[in-house]
Amino acid sequence: MIGIGTRTAIDRSSTPSGAADAVRDPYAPERDAWAVLAAVRGLGPIGFAALLMHFGSARAVVATAAEPGGADRLAATPPIDATHRSQPILDGIAAAIVSTAEERDRIVARLRALEIRVLTVEEPAYPARLANVAMPPHVLYVRGDVGSLSRPRAVAVVGTRRATGPGRTTSGRIATALVAADATVVSGLAFGIDGAAHEATVRAGGVTVAVIGGGHATLGPSSHVRLAEAILASGGAIVSELAPDTEPSKGTFPRRNRIISGLSDATVVVEAPARSGALITASWALEQGRGCFLVPGSIDSHASAGCLAFLREWSQASHLVAGIPQLIADLGFTDPAPDKDARLSGAAIQDLGEAESAVARALVAGLATVDELVARTDFPVATVLAALTMLDRRGLAIGAYGRYRPSGSLLGELHTFREDSLRKTRGPVARAGQPMLP
Amino acid sequence: MLAVVPSATLHGLDGRSIRVEVDVAPGLPGFTVVGLGDTAVHEARERVRGAIRNAGFVFPPRRITVNLAPAELRKTGASLDLAIALGILLGSEQVRASGDPIGLIGELGLDGDVRSVPGILPMVAAIATRRIRRVVVAASAVEEARLVEGVEVLGVASLAEAAQAVRGNRRHRAVVAMPRVTITGPVVPARPDRETPVLAPLNAVPDLAEVRGQSEARRALEIAVAGGHGLMLSGPPGVGKTLLARTIPSLLPALDDAAALAVSIVASAAGEGPITELRRRPPFRSPHHTLSYAAMVGGGTALAPGEVTRAHHGILFLDELAEFDRDVLEALRQPLEEGRVVIARAGRVMTFPAKFQLIAAMNPCPCGFAGTVPESRCRCTPGEVERYGRRVSGPLRDRIDLWVTMPRMPATMLVAANDPEDSGTVAARIVIARERAALDRDRVNGRLRGRHLRRACRLSGEASRRATELAEAELASGRGTERLLRVARTIADLAGSAAVEVPHLEESAHYRPQVARNATALAS
Repeated sequence: MIGIGTRTAIDRSSTPSGAADAVRDPYAPERDAWAVLAAVRGLGPIGFAALLMHFGSARAVVATAAEPGGADRLAATPPIDATHRSQPILDGIAAAIVSTAEERDRIVARLRALEIRVLTVEEPAYPARLANVAMPPHVLYVRGDVGSLSRPRAVAVVGTRRATGPGRTTSGRIATALVAADATVVSGLAFGIDGAAHEATVRAGGVTVAVIGGGHATLGPSSHVRLAEAILASGGAIVSELAPDTEPSKGTFPRRNRIISGLSDATVVVEAPARSGALITASWALEQGRGCFLVPGSIDSHASAGCLAFLREWSQASHLVAGIPQLIADLGFTDPAPDKDARLSGAAIQDLGEAESAVARALVAGLATVDELVARTDFPVATVLAALTMLDRRGLAIGAYGRYRPSGSLLGELHTFREDSLRKTRGPVARAGQPMLP
Repeated sequence: MLAVVPSATLHGLDGRSIRVEVDVAPGLPGFTVVGLGDTAVHEARERVRGAIRNAGFVFPPRRITVNLAPAELRKTGASLDLAIALGILLGSEQVRASGDPIGLIGELGLDGDVRSVPGILPMVAAIATRRIRRVVVAASAVEEARLVEGVEVLGVASLAEAAQAVRGNRRHRAVVAMPRVTITGPVVPARPDRETPVLAPLNAVPDLAEVRGQSEARRALEIAVAGGHGLMLSGPPGVGKTLLARTIPSLLPALDDAAALAVSIVASAAGEGPITELRRRPPFRSPHHTLSYAAMVGGGTALAPGEVTRAHHGILFLDELAEFDRDVLEALRQPLEEGRVVIARAGRVMTFPAKFQLIAAMNPCPCGFAGTVPESRCRCTPGEVERYGRRVSGPLRDRIDLWVTMPRMPATMLVAANDPEDSGTVAARIVIARERAALDRDRVNGRLRGRHLRRACRLSGEASRRATELAEAELASGRGTERLLRVARTIADLAGSAAVEVPHLEESAHYRPQVARNATALAS
């Protein structure tokens, strides 16, 4: 794949005016010019707007930069109106535009090699939700399906990187329910809550969008690279407002959060300790006039302290998540096919062999370690382990640190089976009322 | 006058026969040792001088030249002391030899005491290959020396007794060798034991019945021991990783003759104290994580065997694997793959056997508490947890077949669960599985590779499809696929099945590395 990409890049760079593209897409040269300007360090939205006003198009700006004396002409750009400072393009920035414009071919080739689609704010494909927030990013770098950014329903599910096991489960269940309501799940590809939301969406066959805090070439954390591939393979997208080789830094993540909330109709915070970045996303959602939901937790739970504090402070503006069906109703997503989910999960369970379905039921009952599963199912260890492998393969169970929890459509069974199974559970292993899930 | 005395030194694990030539000539009194000896050999002059005088002989005031032949071989240690002293006594005609030539191996004290040295077994074997049928060793080493067939062993406590033995005075009755080891060509066992050797129970080794709960890890341990697979036990402190690993000696079957001899030779060369019979019990080595590279692979000035060699035919248990130096861990790759370790030092290359089974234990993160309940206990960032896991490099990870995580057991599990199986029950199953494996394979499953592995698995069409499916699911490398099959082969052996079936493969896939499992789970 790299080989093909590289060859394509060479072909393109041999036609610097982008003539080949122009045949297919008349906007392509202008888009490339936007990408070049977006790569200029220090050029902010105000300067960018002033340049567009004065020169008419990004292509014209780049063309000017390439001319002799271009820097002076760029620096002479007048302000948009009198409220802004008199010289919107400082000399240093004009020089930066000139030097970046010289690298135009390399920048465009790099984007093609990484299979990144550039979306400018003036294109119709630019997601309308994001275009409506204050100061949207003028360029989005997108890998995957651009259409996934503009589906009718989109909800952000975000939270702490240091999530608890129940927090992850909740995140996954919310995501699964959102998929059933045909909503896109937007999150930040981080560890913890974000990862669980993306993963559950992929497993449930839904569409999910990840907004990353750095450029595409610096995608991280490294252990989530496979998750990113899975998101792309399932028709989702990975989005950044930063040029591909930008390293993520302390400042880029809060900025990124405004895109997460901006791409969504509402933001759900699952777990957030005090001063969590997820609360910044929640604040952005309020500021952008979007729905803001927080999952409450125990007042003794470190991981929920931020959610509770936010709920208390913004009790008028934010909503409390009291249950998943209520959340879906509060979002206004009346379930398009109430039977669909039940049929899907019912089929998933029925399809299983004897041992697998017994282990699946035990998992739903909240039995977590292999010892507990053996005690509950009366199957030998070897059989239980084989069953876990197959449940994992079907996306119905996840193991971490020697504990196992339900996943995928099994998550939907939690309410249906839990009461039932707990009543049936024998022995001291799973006394009701004792939380067994990690 | 010239005297020639046969002796031997230790070169790695091999004994090397040495001719000690002593010339006692008229001239200015002096004492020179030539022939590539190390410090211990040169210091022999002082020990020999003292021992001769204090044993009641006279140290001849003449020009004494000792040549150690062959000259190009580097000699180490104090095993030549006794031969040099007797050479001087013979050369100065204080002692007259009678009968056949007699080999002498031992270190001298200044009071004339004869002490044992490491490597008696291989050194006596080396002397015996030179058709020398009588050997004098320290009294404490007699049992070890007589493991070599066809050698008459005389144990002596002092230089004076050694002189008596050389004179042919049979006041000290020679111990006739136990016919254990033939010395024609390479050292091999004399004949297979008729009866299966049985190991006496060990007091110091914990029994599996002491490990409560942890069925996943117990099962993995049984598979690992049955098939000789590498095993990784991961989990927070206090869940019983070390206890579980330490039960392994109670599960291992006794070694056959060839292996027992190899283990005995290593133990002898490593100076593990008196060896009275062939070591039937597989060694269990558990070096501390601060050990050096040389201590792990072997080396040092004397080219001593390292931990990988001392664990030959046994277990190398590395507790806190992630805390070992990276270099030390990477050095395990060659022995894990080839069953031997090659040490190259200036001018010398030595190959030691190192066919060990690796058992490792580690915490899931630097603080040790990742994945425990309550979760807030772990204070490590996800990045730290990831980096900690990466301390075990990919190539080493590929060479460990079974990976399990041991969770903390709820109290109900520890108190109320049924009594777990004891070591005897599990060991019996392991013996049966190993016998089954030995029917159609010439090596343990843990060392099956390539076509040997495919042939041993006898996959049916359906099993073959499932194996492909499972391998693709975890994006297994070639090594990962082989690991899946190897472990499934052992599971089938334990189940008494001639072919590897679908359920065996499914269980096998459960023991893939945590990293692969995280990748399948996509989000960590």
